[in-house]
Amino acid sequence: QDMTLKASHQFPGGKGDARDEMVQILAKEIEAADVGLKVQVYPGQSLYKAREQWGALTKGQLDFTSFPLDYASGRVPQFSVTLMPGLVRNHDRAKRLNDSPFMEDIKALIEENGAMVIADAWLSGAFASKSNCITSPESISGQVTRAAGPAFEQMLVGAGASIASMPSSEIYTGMQTGVLDAANTSSGSFVSYRLFEQVKCLTAPGENALWFMYEPLLVSMDTWNKLNDEQKAAVLAAGQKAEEYFDSQARDLDARMVDTFKQAGVEITEMSPEDYEQWLAIAKETSYKEFANVDGGQELIEKALAVD
Amino acid sequence: MSPLEIGLYIFIALMALFASGMPIAFALGAVSVAALLFTEGTSSLDILGETFFAGLNSFTLVSIPMFILMGAAVASSPAGKDLYEALDRWLNRVPGGLVLSNLGACSIFAALSGSSPATCAAIGKMGIPEMRQRGYPAEIATGSIAAGGTLGILIPPSITMIVYGIATETSIGRLFIAGILPGLLLTGLFMLWSIYSCWRQGLSLKSMADRYSWKQKFEVLPRVLPFMAIIAGILYVLYGGVATPSEAAGVGALFCLVLVVVIYRMFRAKPIISMFRDTAKESVMIMMIIAASELFAFTLSLTFVTQSIAEWISMLDVNRWVLMAMINAFLLVAGFFLPPVAVILMTAPILLPIILQAGFDPYWFAVILTINMEIGLITPPVGLNLYVINGIAPDIRLQTILRGSLPYVMCMVLAIVILCIFPGIVTWLPTALMGPAL
Amino acid sequence: MTIFIRAVEAASRLCGLASMVLLAAAVIVVSEMVFVRYVLGHSTIWQTEFVIYSIIASTFIGAPYVLLLHGHVGVDLLPNALPRGPARLMNIVASLIALAFCALVAWTSGHFWYEAFSRGWTTETVWKIPLWIPLLPLPLGMIMTCLQYVVQIMKPVEPTQPEAFSG
Ligand code: NA
Ligand code: NA
Repeated sequence: QDMTLKASHQFPGGKGDARDEMVQILAKEIEAADVGLKVQVYPGQSLYKAREQWGALTKGQLDFTSFPLDYASGRVPQFSVTLMPGLVRNHDRAKRLNDSPFMEDIKALIEENGAMVIADAWLSGAFASKSNCITSPESISGQVTRAAGPAFEQMLVGAGASIASMPSSEIYTGMQTGVLDAANTSSGSFVSYRLFEQVKCLTAPGENALWFMYEPLLVSMDTWNKLNDEQKAAVLAAGQKAEEYFDSQARDLDARMVDTFKQAGVEITEMSPEDYEQWLAIAKETSYKEFANVDGGQELIEKALAVD
Repeated sequence: MSPLEIGLYIFIALMALFASGMPIAFALGAVSVAALLFTEGTSSLDILGETFFAGLNSFTLVSIPMFILMGAAVASSPAGKDLYEALDRWLNRVPGGLVLSNLGACSIFAALSGSSPATCAAIGKMGIPEMRQRGYPAEIATGSIAAGGTLGILIPPSITMIVYGIATETSIGRLFIAGILPGLLLTGLFMLWSIYSCWRQGLSLKSMADRYSWKQKFEVLPRVLPFMAIIAGILYVLYGGVATPSEAAGVGALFCLVLVVVIYRMFRAKPIISMFRDTAKESVMIMMIIAASELFAFTLSLTFVTQSIAEWISMLDVNRWVLMAMINAFLLVAGFFLPPVAVILMTAPILLPIILQAGFDPYWFAVILTINMEIGLITPPVGLNLYVINGIAPDIRLQTILRGSLPYVMCMVLAIVILCIFPGIVTWLPTALMGPAL
Repeated sequence: MTIFIRAVEAASRLCGLASMVLLAAAVIVVSEMVFVRYVLGHSTIWQTEFVIYSIIASTFIGAPYVLLLHGHVGVDLLPNALPRGPARLMNIVASLIALAFCALVAWTSGHFWYEAFSRGWTTETVWKIPLWIPLLPLPLGMIMTCLQYVVQIMKPVEPTQPEAFSG
């Protein structure tokens, strides 16, 4: 009798979303290993809501999830560092970060709290505005902006923007009606919510991206401890496959966004190293400072910045 | 045990608990917990509290109590009476004029209230005694109000549309706009039937109508126009996407409260508390059903019942219109027994993938679903609007009310047929105002 | 025994009042948020969360009061058709099942509340309020609903027509 495990995520199922594909690959590979495990995938919040997944996972009610780690920062405040402005910068550095002491600390925290990483994934995101190109901090001053994540909200307020919190699904109408001037979200959302119809200029991630979010594949510790060695090996191998797949897709997601926006006649820009440093200076005064109040926060930021 | 078998047992248990008269919210919850214990064991209870809480953790849901409050503010003040008066004075020269002004008042009040029984109660309290006093038969007086009241969930704002939007992740603003033309179509059909039946019964209309001077016609307007302005404002906000439904509902509720207090000088605490009590009573009941339905949907998804039913139906491979007819029949039967919010929450997650796969528009289906639910409100054995009418006019027998509302049920069935032939009646306005659906 | 019944019913009424106040607070704060965001064009940090949590609180705290008013809609076809004795028996059985469910939710949500409280969990926003505050109304409301059910079982009730509304 095979043991059936549950995998859940918040993204549309079967529509080519890279994170859904990661989970599907995980499920397929684990079953193909023929170690007495089956994986049932529940896409698109059809089982747990996005933020509920952490509680279910760490209590052993959910076995796998593709999870934006920052969603659990209310319970493990250190996780905010995985959605912190300017800590990652670009995809190459994201890969170097994965094998750094910084991520060792994060992964130790994840394990302490009842889950374990089986595949790393960093998603990049972009800025866009209806009026001008968002490059330096002055360029966003006075604009009503929707930001993804509290740390970004703090930094943007520091740059003189005003904040309207809303789910990414509402950005389109927000812009259409003039509630929003600018928005910041993941590359995937920029395309799937057709924001190219609303904005004038897109700031693509490029080499100096402010916005990166850690969204690993996680396994529940309870589940992990129940597996035999053969099964554990199969899960890790499947996670490896999923991670490789995501690696091959991460840059494509950005490229696809840039292509789509170009075709829609949207101006495309990137941040220069000088712009990036200016933002970093603001982040240090706002979101980093706030995060330093968290137990071990300052140290985590230093470790992340120390990665070359 | 296969998921379909589990589904069958859950269904039987649910029917048994519903039949016992237990509140719907607790019946849904109890069945879910029993199924979780049975399939997953006691450890599944670890997250029961979190799931129950998460069911209500949404900014969109906030609009439900607020739209209820907006309706209650108007219903429990003389505003409803003025609205009614105004229509009567303007429409009383038309055959069956008083029935028409009642139906008109229902559809206007429907634009201020998100719920059907509330609409029915607000207009019925004035309309039924007035119609009977002027010699309209009890059948017509009660049937028209019972039916007119159902417009409350088709004409925006609508609690059931909000719930559908959340359950299916469709745009609530768009759902609201989609309900406008079908709501007017239904109002028109109701009115046509009323004119015909009054004419057929040879009701002498002149003797039944008071004549109003232009002065009388205009003097009622100033007290009514502010509420019309709120309706227009909310529609503008929603179709323009200027603010979210919850924001529109909150501001709308505040404006209605302030207007009612100012225009009718209700400065004492008692009437205001009674508005809030009516609101709390209805909103707590609905929100508890929503929280429990979330748990129920979670249970069905976890045990793979939802997915298996959808798969099973798609494998039947029937003609899409046969499928639509089957779904309609199923919804009708469910609506005979259960309130709309419960039916939508329990079935929407299962039905939507099937509907989409068969190539139907989710907004069009929302309207069809809503009209089905409206029928359920005025048909036995459990028709909430019938109870409301019964409460207003206890001396009229339930059979009489039923006989009166049956022709209007036929109007609704006709409306469903018309919308199946001309789906554009639903989809045209949202597309024209908001562009194609994403 | 009557003292118990009176005390519980008074507490349920108090819950009802609290539920109404929370609803009013939500309406006022939503309007304030619209004003600040759309008219003044300033940031809105705490309002969305406040409104969601007061509506949740209004619901759970209001549950025992609505039970007292027989406002939770049910399908009372069969109870109304049965003779008084069997109807009463069925009512008691149904009430016990509902009571068991509410007690389970009270217990598990109470546990969840304690976890959030003792570990210092917060919400994942800039406002970062301690999670135990918005969680508290669920166990409180469910405990009160249980007590109100006990009263309902002790007190013979005539089956009533639901005058409640349901959109
Ligand atoms: Na309505
Ligand atoms: Na019915």
